[in-house]
Amino acid sequence: MIGPPTAGTPVSARPLAEMIVEIASHYPESRSAVLPALRLAQERYGWLPPEAFREVGEALGQTPAYCEAVASFYDMFHLKPVGRHLVEVCTNISCALVGAQQVLEAFESELGCRAGETSDDGEVTLSTVECLGGCGWATIVAVDHRYRERIKPEDVPAIVEELRGGD
Amino acid sequence: MATDARQLVLADAGSRDLTKLAEYEAVGGYQALARARAMPPQAVIDELIASELRGRGGAFFSTGRKWSFVPKPEQNPNPHYLVVNADESEPGSFKDNEILARVPHRFFEGCLITAHAIESTHVFVYIRGEYLGPFEVLRAALDEIGARQDILGEVTILLHRGAGAYICGEETALLESLEGKRGQPRTKPPFPAIQGLYASPTVVNNVETMATVPPILELGAAEYGKLGVKDSIGTRVVSVSGNVVNSGNFEIENGVTTLRELIDDLGGGIADGRELKAVIPGGSSTVILRADEIDVGYDFDSLLKLDTAMGSAGVIALDDRCCMVQLGVRVSEFYEHESCGKCTPCREGTRWMTAILRRLEAGDAIQSELDLLLSVCDRINGKCLCPLGETAAVAVASYVDKFRAEFQAHVDGGGCPFGDDSPLHGVVAPVAQHTLRRTAEAPA
Amino acid sequence: MAAELVRLTIDGRSVQVPKGTGLVETAMAAGIEIPVFCYEPRLGPAVGACRMCLCDVEGMPKPQAACTMTAQDGMVVGTALSSPKAAEAQRATLEFILVNHPLDCPVCDKGGECPLQDLTFRYGAGNTRMTFPKRTFDKPIPISPLIALDRERCILCYRCTRFSEGVAEDGQLIARNRGSQSQIATFGDEPYRAPFSGNVVELCPVGALTSTKYRFEARPWEIQDSPSICGMCPVGCNIHVTTREGKVKRIVSRNHHEVDRGWLCDKGRFAYSHLDAADRLADPLLRVRRRGFEELSWERAVDEAERMLRAAGSRIVTVLSGSETVELAYGLGKLLRRGLGAHAAMLPEEIDIPLEAFRLPLCAIAEAEVVVVLGDEPVVERAPIVDLWIKEARRNGAEVLYELDEERVRGVTRAILVWSGPGGAEVAALAQRLGLADKEGSGAFYLPATANGRGVADAWAAAADGEVENPDPIGLLIVSGDEAASDPNVRALAERAEHVIAIAMFRTVVGDWADLVLPGTSYLERDGAYVNLEGRLQRLRRATIPPAPDELAWIAKLAERFDVELSPHPSLVFAELAEIAYGGLPFGEVGERASLPPPAPGPAPGARPIDSSQQVVARDAGEGLRLVRYRPLFSGPAVERVPELQFQRPQPEVELSAADAAARGIGAGDEVTVRSNGTSVSLRARLSRELAPGVVRVARDHAGDLEPRVEVSRG
Ligand SMILES: Cc1cc2nc3c(=O)[nH]c(=O)nc-3n(C[C@H](O)[C@H](O)[C@H](O)COP(=O)(O)O)c2cc1C
Ligand code: SF4
Ligand code: FES
Repeated sequence: MIGPPTAGTPVSARPLAEMIVEIASHYPESRSAVLPALRLAQERYGWLPPEAFREVGEALGQTPAYCEAVASFYDMFHLKPVGRHLVEVCTNISCALVGAQQVLEAFESELGCRAGETSDDGEVTLSTVECLGGCGWATIVAVDHRYRERIKPEDVPAIVEELRGGD
Repeated sequence: MATDARQLVLADAGSRDLTKLAEYEAVGGYQALARARAMPPQAVIDELIASELRGRGGAFFSTGRKWSFVPKPEQNPNPHYLVVNADESEPGSFKDNEILARVPHRFFEGCLITAHAIESTHVFVYIRGEYLGPFEVLRAALDEIGARQDILGEVTILLHRGAGAYICGEETALLESLEGKRGQPRTKPPFPAIQGLYASPTVVNNVETMATVPPILELGAAEYGKLGVKDSIGTRVVSVSGNVVNSGNFEIENGVTTLRELIDDLGGGIADGRELKAVIPGGSSTVILRADEIDVGYDFDSLLKLDTAMGSAGVIALDDRCCMVQLGVRVSEFYEHESCGKCTPCREGTRWMTAILRRLEAGDAIQSELDLLLSVCDRINGKCLCPLGETAAVAVASYVDKFRAEFQAHVDGGGCPFGDDSPLHGVVAPVAQHTLRRTAEAPA
Repeated sequence: MAAELVRLTIDGRSVQVPKGTGLVETAMAAGIEIPVFCYEPRLGPAVGACRMCLCDVEGMPKPQAACTMTAQDGMVVGTALSSPKAAEAQRATLEFILVNHPLDCPVCDKGGECPLQDLTFRYGAGNTRMTFPKRTFDKPIPISPLIALDRERCILCYRCTRFSEGVAEDGQLIARNRGSQSQIATFGDEPYRAPFSGNVVELCPVGALTSTKYRFEARPWEIQDSPSICGMCPVGCNIHVTTREGKVKRIVSRNHHEVDRGWLCDKGRFAYSHLDAADRLADPLLRVRRRGFEELSWERAVDEAERMLRAAGSRIVTVLSGSETVELAYGLGKLLRRGLGAHAAMLPEEIDIPLEAFRLPLCAIAEAEVVVVLGDEPVVERAPIVDLWIKEARRNGAEVLYELDEERVRGVTRAILVWSGPGGAEVAALAQRLGLADKEGSGAFYLPATANGRGVADAWAAAADGEVENPDPIGLLIVSGDEAASDPNVRALAERAEHVIAIAMFRTVVGDWADLVLPGTSYLERDGAYVNLEGRLQRLRRATIPPAPDELAWIAKLAERFDVELSPHPSLVFAELAEIAYGGLPFGEVGERASLPPPAPGPAPGARPIDSSQQVVARDAGEGLRLVRYRPLFSGPAVERVPELQFQRPQPEVELSAADAAARGIGAGDEVTVRSNGTSVSLRARLSRELAPGVVRVARDHAGDLEPRVEVSRG
């Protein structure tokens, strides 16, 4: 019996509610499915609009308010729209010590937006994040949740190119 | 991955692809489980107590004793739960990341042995949401043993992904999160062993702790006890990062390898021919050490003598370009961002610390603010609901304590003597950036 | 079970308490106050969030949160009074709380009755050491028409959100974000729309959550509190009525732990402004042919009344609202029954249900193992607080059934029956059959439709000196109270009566069908007693002077003219009534916190009312689903006159059991059509676990002309 789908898996066509109920059935108490359910909803919508909270709440017998309370506690949930791609640069100690800030600035100039913002074409959202648990392979940049290791400023143009060109 | 010591947790991972069940079984995988299942649960617990294994998540509490606190099924009919803490989020530690990615089966074997010992058939692995790679490795490994009744037996293992919150590494916050709530710590007592997940008896253990259990049963407590030093028996996977040449995880024998060896030998010394300035020995939550303090064994007691700890075994080396005030700012920003917001001293205190440190770094602070910083740290320390706030205060206070002159220079010189020579200069932290996810206007 | 006692030392004082007593309460017992913000036992287990209660406990290196600890034998505790460690911890917490607090006490409604203000005054440092800007928010923001939120003042004790999640279980008020960005909020800034929302205003230990109706209305040192009883439903919550210069400014709880636990519903808390409604009657009105109504003096009004009474003689029918005090009902009864032999009365519903043998305090529900809720109407709409007790029971592990399962009930010792709806005649019999009288902790409650229906019935009966026979034609119809006056059945009856006297507060509820209109008073303006649904006599106190004389005053005048002896003073009337109905219970004994008489065998004296209610539903198993049309909590003459309460009126919804919904492929929130032969209404579907299959519920406001049998379909 395995856990909920990952951010990587293609968004299924099944109705959200159905998938959520399915996940909830794996837990002794259905409320435990709130996080996986919110993740599913975010995959569906790209972020968490009010409808998402209504749907998740409906499926799990919680109020939309409750779902928002939970979602807003966790960094990985987006309560505002984000770009099609997400670039997250770890700027915690170990990455910073080997130049994470320069990597971040490289992304800022490539994308033409600051940390916390989305590029004008709406493609890429750039963000700093706290320690990603890859300090030994600093600087870590999570591109659409996949870790890229030992990133240097000179690697940045290629990554942005890839995101802009790709899919 | 280099190592000098006997490997247990990561044994054979260098030479074979142990993410494959067949490979793992080829090196004797899951035989410890068979052995354990042949023993009565209490005997397994006794073996662990004898082994003196202490938790690898940070608190360093005796694993066997923790298990022994769980009431027997006849004492408490509720289901018993094993919850594995794979939320590894402490800045500087990335050991669980590699353990999950390289020896998932050893990890699961440890989980299944533990489940047998505490008579549980429900295992939850709470893995931090960002660990997508390790999650997929675990999922594949679980698929493999899913087809093997002889391995899984009656046990169901559920992988539960977090969603980005350092505090969910704290065991009671983790349980709240696993119950689908905001991850805010609970007051203790009651302890999880008595009232944990769904108010039922629950053992919470760290990933490395789990991966250490099979070798212990293989070797036996006596043999295992020969590794390491008193009060810090066995091996430990240590994460070395920062300004070293050769950063990465190294499995060492506790106390046998010194902190300096970790940095100079395993870590290959300081990069770019710089000088070592300071070492964070056990993740950002631990008291910092000056370069001249690190000729000590990497073990509980030796570090305790220096008022610091192995914590989550995240060793961060800082070279002589680093500004300690900038370090303070960045560390404080981290804790401010990660404070759960439940208890007052942590919620308000970490924010206050950050504010003072920023003023110091900018050269705006007056003399009294340096003492104010220490006073605020002191007022946080010991007043919080969980250790997050406390460790933040203790860590930051230690920077001032050990590098007072440097802080003083910021006041006297009305600015930072290092400026942008320091790699920590002007680093943008999540709390500082235009915020993405906040639903409300950020504080002015 | 008598808990074992433990002895401990607090600030050097030795104190003995039952083992397990909370440390905060233990200190209280020793006369020592441990300051708290987040601690509120009624909200469930302590959370230890605010850290205001830190104490020095011997053997523990760090200061401990007293609110999370219980008394242990031999414990040695130091509070800020005696322990420097505790004092420093307390100063620390207070400083952190104040770091972001605006300190705008002079313009804060809480000012003068604010724990934070008091503690700051007592322990706070005179100066601030903060050298950076405070957190600021837009303020105050209305989280509903009733409640304003000032996030800058919020100290994040999470009392309000814990109430919403853990007591009212409405899940509407939440904490959003994390860490220092945490803030109290509602979903997407929808209003906090829930029957008990107002309690968070009282729970908030600072001025963060305030009543929009009370904002800037008064300062604590200019107000008076009268201890009284809420007259809005049969629970009879204990209240303080706050007045300033004779005007009612707010209503707060007076915590009767057996009755209301310190909670109020929003109707009881906020409906008080009906007193000043635009159409409030002050002077009597007489209908003059073609010229409509004209005002007249009280003297003339009493003459007119006397004339109508003499003309009708015994051919009088009296309609009572159930909002009369027992004194008023008895007085009216004595005048009409003894003075004129007019015995016919119409009570709002069948309420003489002999439950005395099954009597329990409401708080017993929380301890029950099984709670059976029958009678089809939503408990929260009839007797809101009872709903909170049932929720607490469920949280305590009780099984709550909405269909009778005799086995389950017989299988446990503590079983409680709650009848929510008309037709409660069966309750006593059922309780008898289930043997609830003989089991400690078991019992039965009937939830009447009116606040004092029980007391009124008793009082009317006590005034009897003859048998009821229903006059036809009706010479005079006396309509007492606005509830009765707004009942369509009563109006129908009025059309048939030769003359009508209406006693009412509001001009617009009495139409042209009345000949004489005598201004009435509100429960907030009366002295007297109500009998709540437990059978508890509770005392109302006049909190403010009504614009018209007390009913009893002019009833006494009239009585005199019919040689009936009746005092205009409630206390004396009560004494007389008590001799007959309440075993001579002295007025004084109906105390501040009234006690509940012990269970007594045998039925109480009861009126034999004409049953006005076509409410009593035919239980025949006909086609389709049985429609229960209920009167919602937020309705009635008082609520209609409080603009701030209008958003609480029921949604256009139909409640279905999960089973019935599934059978029809209906999901929660779906648009559905409810049909009975002829008419249909379209409503939103709400799935309810509190409903037996075969039954659907629609608030009266939305039920249109639907008949008792309906079908429900999608779209
Ligand atoms: C703020 C905070 C964060 C923590 N993060 C982790 C973590 O990421 N992983 C972990 O195993 N333990 C973490 N811990 C320790 C856990 O609370 C707990 O002690 C541990 O998981 C127990 O496992 P062990 O006995 O095997 O070490 C954290 C503790 C605190 C106070
Ligand atoms: S609004 Fe009041 S009750 Fe709610 S958290 Fe803030 S201070 Fe506490
Ligand atoms: S009252 Fe104890 S922590 Fe708030």
